[in-house]
Amino acid sequence: MAIAETDELGFEAPAPVGHPGRAGLPASASTGPEIGERLPDFALPDAFGNTVRFHEHRGASKSAVVFYRSAVW
Amino acid sequence: MTQLVELQEGYNKFQEQGIKLYAISYDDQEVLRDFAQSYGIEYPLLSDMDSAVIKQFGILNTQIQPGDAVLYGIPYPGTYITDEDGVVIQKFFHDTYKRREGPELLIDAALGRVVLDDSAPAASETDDEGIKVSATLHGGAIKQGAQREIIVRFELPEGLHIYGQPVPDGMIPTTVTVSGPEGLAVEETIFPPTEQLRLESLDLDLPVWSGQVDIRVPIYALSALQSECRPLDQDEIDIEVAVRYQACDDNVCLLPKSESFTITAPLETIHVQSIDLHMGHGQKEATFDGTPHLRRLLIRKIRQSPLGFVRYIFKEMGLRRAARKRAVSD
Repeated sequence: MAIAETDELGFEAPAPVGHPGRAGLPASASTGPEIGERLPDFALPDAFGNTVRFHEHRGASKSAVVFYRSAVW
Repeated sequence: MTQLVELQEGYNKFQEQGIKLYAISYDDQEVLRDFAQSYGIEYPLLSDMDSAVIKQFGILNTQIQPGDAVLYGIPYPGTYITDEDGVVIQKFFHDTYKRREGPELLIDAALGRVVLDDSAPAASETDDEGIKVSATLHGGAIKQGAQREIIVRFELPEGLHIYGQPVPDGMIPTTVTVSGPEGLAVEETIFPPTEQLRLESLDLDLPVWSGQVDIRVPIYALSALQSECRPLDQDEIDIEVAVRYQACDDNVCLLPKSESFTITAPLETIHVQSIDLHMGHGQKEATFDGTPHLRRLLIRKIRQSPLGFVRYIFKEMGLRRAARKRAVSD
């Protein structure tokens, strides 16, 4: 049976309400580096195995760093 | 993933403005490569398989337990915008993963100004004094999970100003009211910073704007309007925008004015992975088959916490049983 329940915020998703996959951001949770702080540096492989060192790769450009859940599901 | 595709659709705008774009998840390189090739993603999809960077940033989703099937290791989704030195100048985190800024809103945040697309749905009016007021749907079509903005832009001729808040009784502050069909969520209006206008004769400092003034109203769709679990009920909606203001020069005020605009906003379905979870909901599902990747991810996660996974199976069964009961009692 398809499940599509609307949560208390008014959104619908293909999982039951209360499913951990639908958990939102609690008011008390950290959202990481604050405005005015420099983002920590990191090095991660991209889709093709090349290592990206964030600040080095960014150079002198502005940047948008998007954390998302998954490309799989 | 809707977000990744949408970011790609706006990627040329990032490049034009010299803003580097990065996307990070706990996915392995294999799925990222397959995904990048399926959708022609040109910006780096970075693989943080053990969620080390997600933890380093302090944004691991801690409501998910090790063993919660494929879920453990995801972040609270959000975006940081940095300046040229890598310092955060804006960040976007919402109480639900179903609100995400598209490319245009991220670019605005990076530049500190609103860059409107000429092809965006808009309506405008220019009065006899040469004051132009426009309302634009900014950020693209209305899509489930995506945040947009209604931008009310004033273009004031030299010498004229309009008022912010607070102003003394009898003066008209600028207000914007946005409304739409049921299920269109409208957030609080975001005004730009005001300038102070000193009126010596009245011993008064007034908050004003002059020149080009962009007033932003965030909007997004709730499931009453649009859902990832059903096809679109309609292809477009009308959004009503009411604007009230009074323009003055340093000596005289013009009569207060009200303008109302109707913007016809297109609705669009979203891209979803072709996996069981998303099938048959009337969204765009044929481009990317996530099934083999999901299997691999599941094995990777079960290995990390076999006992947790057993607990998860019972939890999941309980949740589904409860949902079925709710469906029957409705």
